Amino acid sequence: MNPLAESAAESRAEFDEELLGLLSRCAAADSGALQRLYELVAPILFACLTRILRRRALAEEALQDVFVSIWQRAGQFSASRGRPMAWMVSIARYRAIDLLRHERHVPALVPDLPERLGAQPEAESEGSSPAWLPPSGLLEHCLGLLTERQKHCLELAFVGGNSHEDISRLTGNPLGTVKSWIRRGLQSLRQCLEAVP
Amino acid sequence: MKPDNSELVDRLAAEYVLGTLRGPARRRFERWRANTLQVDQRCRYWEERLMHLAKGLKPVQPPAYVWPAIRKRLNLTPNRAPHRWTRRLALAASIVLVAGLAGLLYWRSLPAVRATASSIISTKSGTEMWEVKVFATTNRLVVQAAKLAARPAGHDYELWALPQGGNPVSLGVLPTEGTSSRVLTAAQKAALASSSQVAVSIEPAGGSPTGQPTGDIVFVAPLQASG
Repeated sequence: MNPLAESAAESRAEFDEELLGLLSRCAAADSGALQRLYELVAPILFACLTRILRRRALAEEALQDVFVSIWQRAGQFSASRGRPMAWMVSIARYRAIDLLRHERHVPALVPDLPERLGAQPEAESEGSSPAWLPPSGLLEHCLGLLTERQKHCLELAFVGGNSHEDISRLTGNPLGTVKSWIRRGLQSLRQCLEAVP
Repeated sequence: MKPDNSELVDRLAAEYVLGTLRGPARRRFERWRANTLQVDQRCRYWEERLMHLAKGLKPVQPPAYVWPAIRKRLNLTPNRAPHRWTRRLALAASIVLVAGLAGLLYWRSLPAVRATASSIISTKSGTEMWEVKVFATTNRLVVQAAKLAARPAGHDYELWALPQGGNPVSLGVLPTEGTSSRVLTAAQKAALASSSQVAVSIEPAGGSPTGQPTGDIVFVAPLQASG
């Protein structure tokens, strides 16, 4: 590992440690810890929410729900439950998906989003992951083995919160084809991840 | 849905995390996850891995009103002094009065919760095993396990307060990873208040059946009051 990568990995480990410490202080009802946690992760969670919900007012409300949940559930979190960032991103994404259920008027296609037909996902550039993401060369490698179509469908679903039907509409491919790309994409990902001990 | 089909569990977990499992199937799966460890584990597996699909997401600063709104919903007291209010007062009042008020505000703005005592439990060779923190103001005990505290097979580690002149008082089973937070009973709080040490014993899974240590005491560590 080169020194630069090493220091990046170290800063991510420190970030994880800080999040763990803050969650345990939240579990002890320390409101200062929630404020610091908000400063650190709200911008990422808000980015997830706006991307899925596509309406700022709705995303702002959802962000409040997410931090209320984090505060109430901090005591249930432990490092054995995985990385704190994955836990918080999941809370945010699931909340957004739940809200989508009730919001039938969300436009299916917003022209300035990079997920429009044929567009390449942003930040395709290799190398540095943002500090909030744990480093994983293996995962990058395995994602790299997927076909472009598979990877694009997975991104449309995960990042954009799009359903099978949305993706079929967005990409102009039949529903059955989209479903099978996604299923096979996930399957290959798992096989690749588990091939390495 | 039958939980014994691991292939099916994995496929559903992946689609649930991805967000493509929708409608009533999503609701059913959520209930299944809440009740089934194996399902929960597969979900966490995918949550950590699929997160990399969001690598390109750029942080977006939420508007300023959101944080106060969250604080209000949770009934939290502000942690920072209300600067504008102090400034207005400064205009109206004498410097002496402001100095007095600033002192008061500073005192009021100190973080509401601080550990009142803490202990680091380490092996003889200095490897940190657990960090124990007592929050007397909120009646909580928070224990953070060091990265790898292997559980003795079929047993648990149990934490004890060692009050001066009294019997050990159980503080519960220790986590072998992650953080645990629990509410202290009045008896535990009183025992901690007169303890200068905590101890760890090896007990049958779930903790001592007698309320007193039954297995070997494997660690003793000083409990230090925080300043």
